[in-house]
Order: sequence, then C-alpha cells, then structure tokens
Amino acid sequence: MGFLAPLFLALGLGAAVPLLIHLLRRRTGVRIEFPAARYLARAEQEHSRRLKLRNLLLMMLRVLAVTCIALAAAQPVSGTLGRLVGAGHAPAAIGIVLDNSLSTSVIANGRPVLDRLKAIAVRAARGATVGDRVWLVTADGRTQGGTAAAVASAIVRTEPLSGAGDLPRAAAAAAGLVRSAGVADPVVAIVTDGQATAWSGMTDLGGVRVVIYAPAEPGPANRAVVAAAARPARWTPRGEVTATVQGTVPPGGSDSTTYRIGLGVRTLARGTVAVTPIGDERTARDRLAAGVGAISVHAAPPERGWVGGSVEIEADELRGDDTRYFAMWIGEPPAVASDSSAGPFIRSAVDALVANDRATTGAAGQGSRAIAIVAADHLTSLPALIVPPSDPVRMGAANRALERSGVPWRFGGVQRGEATIDGIESASPIGAAADTGGRAAPVTASLAYAMVAQGSAPADTLARSANKPWAVAGPGYVLIASPIDPVSTSLPLRAVFVPWIGDLLAQRLVGAGGGLGGAGNGVLESEPGETLRRPAGAEELEAPDGAVRVLSGATIDAPARPGVYFLRRAGGRVGALVVNPPPRESDLTRLATQTLATRFRGRSVLAGTDGEEWARAVFDAHAARPLARIFLVAALVALLAESLLTRRAVMRSSGGMTATRRAA
Amino acid sequence: MEGTTRADLFDPASLASMGRIEIVARWVVDGFLTGLHRSPRKGFSVEFAEHRPYQPGDDLRYLDWKIAARADRWVVKQFEEETNLRAVLVLDVSPSMAWRGAPARLTKLAYAERLTAALALLLLRQRDAVGLVCFDERVRSVLPPRARMTQWRRLVGALDRMREGTDARRSDAGDALLQAARVVRRPGLIVLISDLLTDVAPVDRAVRALRAAGHDVAALHIVDPAERELTASGDALFVDPESGLAVPAAVAEVRDAYRATVAAALDEWRATFVRGGGRYETVMTDAPFGAPLRRAFAARQDSGR
Repeated sequence: MGFLAPLFLALGLGAAVPLLIHLLRRRTGVRIEFPAARYLARAEQEHSRRLKLRNLLLMMLRVLAVTCIALAAAQPVSGTLGRLVGAGHAPAAIGIVLDNSLSTSVIANGRPVLDRLKAIAVRAARGATVGDRVWLVTADGRTQGGTAAAVASAIVRTEPLSGAGDLPRAAAAAAGLVRSAGVADPVVAIVTDGQATAWSGMTDLGGVRVVIYAPAEPGPANRAVVAAAARPARWTPRGEVTATVQGTVPPGGSDSTTYRIGLGVRTLARGTVAVTPIGDERTARDRLAAGVGAISVHAAPPERGWVGGSVEIEADELRGDDTRYFAMWIGEPPAVASDSSAGPFIRSAVDALVANDRATTGAAGQGSRAIAIVAADHLTSLPALIVPPSDPVRMGAANRALERSGVPWRFGGVQRGEATIDGIESASPIGAAADTGGRAAPVTASLAYAMVAQGSAPADTLARSANKPWAVAGPGYVLIASPIDPVSTSLPLRAVFVPWIGDLLAQRLVGAGGGLGGAGNGVLESEPGETLRRPAGAEELEAPDGAVRVLSGATIDAPARPGVYFLRRAGGRVGALVVNPPPRESDLTRLATQTLATRFRGRSVLAGTDGEEWARAVFDAHAARPLARIFLVAALVALLAESLLTRRAVMRSSGGMTATRRAA
Repeated sequence: MEGTTRADLFDPASLASMGRIEIVARWVVDGFLTGLHRSPRKGFSVEFAEHRPYQPGDDLRYLDWKIAARADRWVVKQFEEETNLRAVLVLDVSPSMAWRGAPARLTKLAYAERLTAALALLLLRQRDAVGLVCFDERVRSVLPPRARMTQWRRLVGALDRMREGTDARRSDAGDALLQAARVVRRPGLIVLISDLLTDVAPVDRAVRALRAAGHDVAALHIVDPAERELTASGDALFVDPESGLAVPAAVAEVRDAYRATVAAALDEWRATFVRGGGRYETVMTDAPFGAPLRRAFAARQDSGR
C-alpha cells in the first residue's frame, strides 16, 4: 500500500490523544466533595468489568476513528487490498494516442474506422475522474490536455489526416506527458488501426504502462496510386507522365482499375491499368515491360509554364490515396545554334532533336536566347553548350573566351587513357541510361582536358571521369571536358547521346521558367504537414484554389491537404510543391495484436481487440486503487459505534454538579 | 402567607430564605393544616382542655357554636387526650448532611432542620409530646419529649446549636435510635431524619429492637437530587467529606451504574424499614416541605390509632 499524501500520516499522532486520555483519566486533579462516594465506589466495584470493557472499547473506537481519518487524509492506494475493497481508481495520468492517420479513414462495415476508434477513445476519456490528468495526442503530434470532458470533446472533433503522421513519435510525446504528471501509474493508451507500416519499428515508451486497442479484423482491400510523376520535370514541351498503381491482389489473382490523368483542368488521358500487389518492388520500367501496375503517357500539351496534374483511379474504401498529384514546367522547345566548331556529331544530334520537335534552330549571339553549341575558342555568348577545341593549340584562346564570357572554368592539361564516364545517366531524368545500366557498354573518355574551377562559382558536376569533373553546368552554360568525337569519347556512339544532349538543352540551358533550379528542377515533393526547407527565392505559396500565402522563415510547413501548390516569386510561378500521402499509408495490412504488442517497450504492454476491456485496462484492474473512501467509512462506523456507546451518557451530561465544601 | 398561599408547597430553598427556622416552620405547618381536609379519624382528645381561635382547616365539628353565637368569635374546642403520643425526632447532623448538589438548593441538614421544626410544631399543635435527638457518630444532644408549646422553642434552640456542625467521621443512626427509645420511655413514635449514608445492619438491628419495644419507627431519607442522579460531568476525584473515601471516576462512564447502585441502596433501605415494621420515605431536598410533612403526619396518625 502506498500513500499519495504521506505527510498527512502525521495526523495519526492524534490517535495517541484518546489513548492518553484513557491512560490518564484516573489521574485527574479535579476534586469534588461527594457524600455518596460510597455508592460510587460500590457502583465501580459492582460494574468494574463491564465499565473496563466499555472504556477499552471506547478507547479502541476512538483510536480507530482517528487512525482511519489520518489514513484517509494520506490518500492510500493499494493493489491487492484495493482490488478487494477499493473503489474507483488511483489518480492517473493518461495519454490517449488516437491514430487518425489516412489509413483510419477507410470505410469498414459502413463507417470510417476512425469513428470506431474515436468511440473507444472517448470511453477512456470519460472514465477519467477529477483527479486524473488526461491528454489526447493525435498522429500529427497535436496535443490536447485538460478535463476529461474537454479531451472527450477533442476526440470527437478529430478529423482524419491526409497523411501518415508519426504515430511512434506521438506515442513518445504522450509518454513524456504522462511521466511529467508525477503519478504512480502513468499510462499511454493507444487506439490504432494497427497498420503494419505505421508500427514498423520498436517504440520505446520508457517506464509507462502501454494499453493498445487495435481492430481484430484484417485491413480491408485497397487500391492506390502510389507514385505519379512528370518526366522530365521540365517539358519542352514533350514529356511523359508515369504512375504506379498498387493494391490488394489475392494470391494467384489479378486486379485492374481505370485511371484518368488530369492536367490542369482537363483530362490528359484515360485508360485501364492492372494493379500490382502492394509491396511490389519492381521498377517502373520493369512494370511497364510486364504490363502491370505502371502507367506511362507521353504528351506534348499546349499548356505553358508551371502546371499541376493528377492521376486518379476508381474510388474505393480508402479515398485519400485514389488520387496522386504531380507537377511540371512546360515550355517551348529550346532554340539551338549549332556551330561547326563543336564537331559533326553534335550537329547530327541537334538535327535529330530539331526533327523530333525537341529543339528549334536559332541564331546565336548577343541578345539572342538561342543556345550556342560551340567549341570554347569560338564562344562569344551564353547560354552555350561548350566543348574543348579539337586542336590543342587553340586551348589558350579557348580559356580566354571562357574568361570573356564569364564562365568560371578553365581547361587544364590533357589527360589520355580510357576512363569510364559516370553520371551521364543522371543527367537524363527519364532514366534511359539507368535502363541500360549494367547491360550496355559504358560511356568512356579516352581524351579529356582537366577542368579547373575559378574561384568559388557555383556549379553542378553532371558527369565525372577518373573522379574528375567531365561535364559541369552553371548559369547559362554546360562545359564538357572531351571533344565530342569517337577518338576522345565513346559518347557519340552510344544511344544515350542524343537524349542526353536534348536533356542538357531542355533542363540546363533553357532560360525561362527555370526559376528555383536545384535537384528537383523546381518541384518539391512532400507529405501533408511535413516541414521542408524553403527554397531560396520562393516568396509565396499558391494553393489549388488560388489562395496565396506569404512564405517566411527558413522552412515551409507543407499544407495538410494533398494537391499541387505553386511557389511564387514577384507574382509569377517559379516552382511547385506537390503534396501527396506517403505510399506506405496505402498498405492497410494490420498487425496481429500480439505482434503489435511486441513493437512497444514499456513498464507493461497490453494489446487487445475489445474496446470495453481496453477502456477498463486503461484504469488497470491490477493497479493500485484508492482506499481513502474505505477508511472514511471505517472512521464513520467507529464514530457511530462510539456515539451509540456513549449516547445515553452524553445526553445526560447536560447537567452539572457543584461541590460545596460544607454548607455554612 | 396565611390563607392566601401555602408555604408547605413552596420551593424549600426559597421559603428558607424568607425567615428564621421557626418562622418558616410555622408557615409550613399553617399551610399544611390549611390544606388538610377532614381527617377520617378524630384527631382530638375527648376531654376538653381549652379554646383556641379557629384556623382554616380546623374541623368544624369542634367549633364552639355557642361562643360563636354569643360573642361572635370563632373558636374551636381543644381536648386533653389522656394517651398523648410521645414522639422523638432523631436528626442526623453528621458532616455528610452539610452538603448540597447545587447552590440553589438547601443543604440536606438545612432542609432536615426545617422539616424537623415543622414536624415538631405540627405534633405539638396536636398536643403530642415531641423530643429531639441529634447525632452523628454519637448522640450530640437529647431533648426529652414534652407536650407544651414551649417545647418547640427549646427544640428550635437545640437545632440552632447543632448548626455549628461537627467533624465526625461517620454517623451512627442505629445507636441514635436506641438512645431515642430510652428517652421516650413508653411506646411512641420515633422519626429518623437522615441521609442514611451509613451501614444498614446497625440500623436494621435498632429498628427491630424499637419495634420489639412497641415503638413506631419512621425514616425520612434525605437525599439531594445530585446524589441520586450523579449530575456531575467529566472526570474527577469524588471525596466523601465524612469518611474521607476518595473515588476517581469518569462520570459519563459510571453514571448508569451509579444510578442503579443508588436505586438498589434506596430499595435496600426501604426493605430494611418495612421488614422491620417501620415506615420509610425518600425526601428529596428540592421537594416542598408539605410532601414529607404529610408522610410524617400519616405516620403519626397510624401511630396514634
């Protein structure tokens, strides 16, 4: 048995009062003349046994009453004794973790799973008493504390998230809260759908008791668009939309669904796609090759600028993952002015790009937006794709031209010997190089000039050879270390050559619409509510409904609603923030309760599928219960018995007797 | 007070505050006689002795109508009884009698003195011879019975002298009763007025002896209400001023047992006197004098029968 207010045990010293009175009552100093003392002596003599017994009983009742009151004031709690005679529960600190992640919005048995979870959580909140401290922590980390009624109300008002949230983090936060309450038995009460992906790791909640509710039935079937993207991120104006659809496919069976790809406010494409099982780790190309689970739509839409799109499939029980968003920049094909100094292979590549509407021809020079493709010694203006001069004698003139044009790189000494060029595939967002990686012959360089950076000018290294930069890009230029001919490099002989040149032109050298640049080419991917680093230059955020929010600070909190949000600067769109639920949230596979219990570490962990039992377990049938009421009742009974025993005497004690020494 | 109010029904303490003992006794007796209705017995002797003025309550049979017709005076005839009752009042003056349970009450001795004086006057008015024996652990004074009205003065004087108090350590009622029997000489009425805080056995023996000698014995047991109910409160050391007996007690705890013991003691005293052929009455010191006087007068009537 423990005490919540042990200082009040000092009141127990009061029990000594009736004891002392009992022991000292015969030593009283009051002296009364009383001629009939002989009768008094005879009465005590004749009734001594009964009187002693009554006095002893009175003394014991009084000591018992005082002791019980002192014990009650000290607020005793006990486990074993409490279960026998205790009532209610000891003051508790309860952190209710309510799983309101996207997966709980799935419709099961005609209503959202979250409604069921909320109803169960409310039981725990309403079971709390005035002495309890209760908090609600939802999957997104939001915390609501206060009275049981306030928490119950907050539970009822809880809406499902559009994302996964972070349930382990929410549970840890709840554990911290209940530990801070300083009660003997802090408890974290988790109400979850038991989604396996949400509780994939071990969650250590320290010394708190953990009580978990999860539905017994397995998760419902689900289909979801788990990936959607525009490739490349900048279309000039051609590009490809790819998407992946996964779902619950019975073993040996198959499933398919219709899809719609929207671009802006119009439909770009419709079709039917086979659904791949959730967890299929095959690449998009492999899935495309197999003809299941992947969508690939090539298009050259008329829209220009930053555009958002979506891939939608048929609605099912979980609506939140039936649509996935993407964004891209669509611009005109780049104008290219190819100079003969760049060599015949470059010229051929440009001709091929022009023939496929991926580029147009233009005139290079000051004031022109056309991209010059030249040898460095012929460089006069930017933007330009620059290659080394074929004659080493012209290298000095080439470096001077670079200096004049403001390119912060210089050509150094020549390096001979064949070396693999790494990174060419990375310059191709479509992944053509990746598709050939490991199967086709590598791109090599036999002759390359060292590229020496001047100062600390920013630049991206697009490819490396022998661990040295082979292709670098900066504002308005791409510089290549080898002349584009078969003697210097195998690149012009490879299939990746023309696409790579096309990508360089479209992604690196097109001036308009670039804006933010960076690894995503101005497209940021995010989960709902996720905190991101604010891109430099992004001043505002434009919502799908057109509302504009000013951005400040170093970070951005991604909106809670999925969709395409545009980053703006000076009133124009300079990038996009694409908010989609995490694909793992579409996997509704649930953990068995016993397995779920093993994912937690606490003072004790109990997982169950019965809401009633869960609510009772929150207040723990095995935990200590308060005994104060019992002791108060015992004190009352003792005082009542004492009162009955002395009632007649007390009633007749209203009179008094005055001693007179002797009448005059 | 005569005629309009009856002193025998007054609160004894209030009445005592109005005058000396003989005055109070007269008021009491006058009041008592006023309220006395016609006796079923002839209380007066048959041989004429003298006239006296008529007083309310006198039996009209003894009114001298001739004098009333001739002189327009209302007088009653009094007769000399040849067999006058000889009564001795035996009064306990031990220290235990000098106690009262509340300031508003008389001490037992003060009450008993007034009762004794009134009773003596009543008997003397009946032409009975009245004597007085005062005692504590021994007989303190003896006044042989006389039937003259001057006897009452002597008796009141003796009571006054006894008021000085004694320092006796006990009271011996048995011996006092036997001494009183010697004073009476021939069978008469012996009235013991005491708080009877003494042993029963000597008194029992004395009562039996007196009855054997042909005496009528009556006991007026003077009890203060506080002695009967134990109205004190709290814990205290109760000390008997007479014997020095000290008894520590918690009143609330012992009260019930005490009451039972006192009730048993009173019953024992009553049984002792009744068994011995005497009369016994408990007299509370907060009761008007009329009540005990009536009982004593009834004893006298029985004795004279």
